[in-house]
Amino acid sequence: MRRRKGLFTQAGLIALSALMLLPFYWVIKTAITNENIYAYPPRLLPHHPHLFNFVDVWYLIPFPRYLLNSLIVSLLVVGANVAFNAMAGYALSKEFPGKGAVLGLLLSSMLVPFQATIIPAYLITAKLGLINSYLGLAFPLLSTIVCIFIFKASFEAVPHSLIDAARVDGLAEWRIIVRILMPLSKAAIATNVILAFIWSWNAFLWPLIITREPAMQTLPLGLARFLSYLEDTTGALYAFAVMVLAPSIFLFLMAQKEFMAGLSSGATKG
Amino acid sequence: MRWKDFIGSRWVIAALAIGIAVGAWNGYIALNDGGLVEGRVVDGGGRPVPGATVILLERNFVMHSERQRTRTDAAGRFRFAGNDNHSLRVEAESEALGRSELREVRLWFRAQNVSLAEPLRFAGRLP
Amino acid sequence: MARFSDRAAEPGGWRGAKRVRELLLIACLLLPSLLVFFLYRLLPLLWNVVLSLSYWSPLKPARWAGLDHYQEMLTDEVFWQALGNTLIFIGASPLAIVLALLIALLLNSEVRGRALYRGIVFLSYPLMTVAVGIIWRWMYDERGGIINYALRASGLIAKPIPFLESFEWALPSVILAEVWQVLGFYMIILLTGLQSIPEHLYEAAAIDGAPRRAQFWRITLPLLKPSLFLCAVVGILNSLTSFDLIYIMTNGGPGHATELLITYIYKSGFGQTRFDYAAALTVVQFALLLGLAFVANRAAGGNAGALQQR
Repeated sequence: MRRRKGLFTQAGLIALSALMLLPFYWVIKTAITNENIYAYPPRLLPHHPHLFNFVDVWYLIPFPRYLLNSLIVSLLVVGANVAFNAMAGYALSKEFPGKGAVLGLLLSSMLVPFQATIIPAYLITAKLGLINSYLGLAFPLLSTIVCIFIFKASFEAVPHSLIDAARVDGLAEWRIIVRILMPLSKAAIATNVILAFIWSWNAFLWPLIITREPAMQTLPLGLARFLSYLEDTTGALYAFAVMVLAPSIFLFLMAQKEFMAGLSSGATKG
Repeated sequence: MRWKDFIGSRWVIAALAIGIAVGAWNGYIALNDGGLVEGRVVDGGGRPVPGATVILLERNFVMHSERQRTRTDAAGRFRFAGNDNHSLRVEAESEALGRSELREVRLWFRAQNVSLAEPLRFAGRLP
Repeated sequence: MARFSDRAAEPGGWRGAKRVRELLLIACLLLPSLLVFFLYRLLPLLWNVVLSLSYWSPLKPARWAGLDHYQEMLTDEVFWQALGNTLIFIGASPLAIVLALLIALLLNSEVRGRALYRGIVFLSYPLMTVAVGIIWRWMYDERGGIINYALRASGLIAKPIPFLESFEWALPSVILAEVWQVLGFYMIILLTGLQSIPEHLYEAAAIDGAPRRAQFWRITLPLLKPSLFLCAVVGILNSLTSFDLIYIMTNGGPGHATELLITYIYKSGFGQTRFDYAAALTVVQFALLLGLAFVANRAAGGNAGALQQR
């Protein structure tokens, strides 16, 4: 009876996995196939597979440029996030007058999704003169409340004796944060890095609003832009999609546990 | 963090591996980007066709346009220099045999030196 | 951490020079983050309300409009359709959550390769939604898409269905793509919740002779309330913010069959440059979000579904 149930479960999970992986297979097959992809019936296996679609995408679409833009913005966001969130998390782990108000402000800000702010956010960014700039692309994401609370919790878990000992040794506050608290918060830093990277890497609506010229577009924009462009009969568009997805999938495979923990804690700490 | 842990961590290894791969690839490109395109032209029976006109077409976003012409030598060989595209087409013409097949040549990087594996074939045979 | 009152009892209390330096430091530490949130969360919220009550255009000075935009909304067909579509979208999340619960239950048992299956189901979540949209658009294609091919090959339909171009199928098709992407996220939340239920509760119930089904309804489900509430909130948020997928797959079409509030806001604001009307739409959307979050909170028993500590 146990064995039957176990087999059932395995079969169900295998079927589920097949369904979840089917879109990936279909896109990869289209990207490497050497035929008219609109021909019916479509072949289930790639016909004369080749990798030259990827070469086409590299040269005919400014893929390197998009990649560079996405990388710069993401690095900006990740760096600023770790710095600002750790700073704010540390500040919030101490006592000061008005702390309740600040906490209330942050918690209520969490209720406001980004999409509810796009119109004024655009106007503010225009006023700041940051339209079509890397900083403008990164600004709304430079700090996230969820990660502040993650850092706060992580710092509060450090035993006071360590901090007090450091203070007695005459360490400045800065050094306490960098030398003692941060190394003990590696999980928080990892979560922050992953969340910040994903949010900035995948961001589409904000770059769509903020960029004015193709040279500043990020990867999602580049992909969307060529959706209509490359409606030819080759798999070039899907090669582009595969190239865009490759970094995310690679990172996911490298850091599965941290990914799942980070993304789920990113929501549970709400 | 101890140095050993740091270097052995999968992130550092992955970054190094990627860096080495990118460097090696770029090195290979630097050594092989002379822009040479070579090949042979044969007729239906496999005999080389001297004096045929060979046309090199390069890709221009969605179409291929002519870039160069040359003639095959006595042994039916031809060579183009100065190609800087990654997607080419080659075909040959001859008064006696008309037009040969249109060969699609796709490269791994622009101006890659390439030597056609299969010779360009004409349908007919030389007398 | 010293309590507030302890500090006050220190010599010099809050006014000692060292204390002032500390407060200054705290202010500096908080400044960058607070600046970002002020500029991009709080200020926009207020600005939206103000904008929605005025006639605003980039070139002319603003005039007071009162509730004109809201009145216009009441007679705007596209608005009502967008609202309806958004609600349908939200209504589909319970189905996704139930499905995710089933998967989480399967993964909670002692099957081999659990971690692998978990990874496979979760893989779709961190991906770029634009790319997911392109993939699914291709899967739904009439000629080269696998969905039509599978349906025709298995004899279920005779002619291909233009999924993304038909009035009946467009919204469900997009919803399916959305579910495919978010399923892994729900699953992880529910799995974490399942794994935090103490074993001894099940053991005690088994000793008392409770059948498995009763164990599920009486123990598992009630203790999963916080996780279910979280999934519900995420589902609501997703539906209200699912711009990328719609833009890529259908751009709101055919007609306005897949128009969501967020895409209509984008089109009004950045397509027609009617920032004021778009702001009014945003206010309505935000009110909808708050209302639904409130209802969900109530349904979960208040307190964000937190468990009653005994």
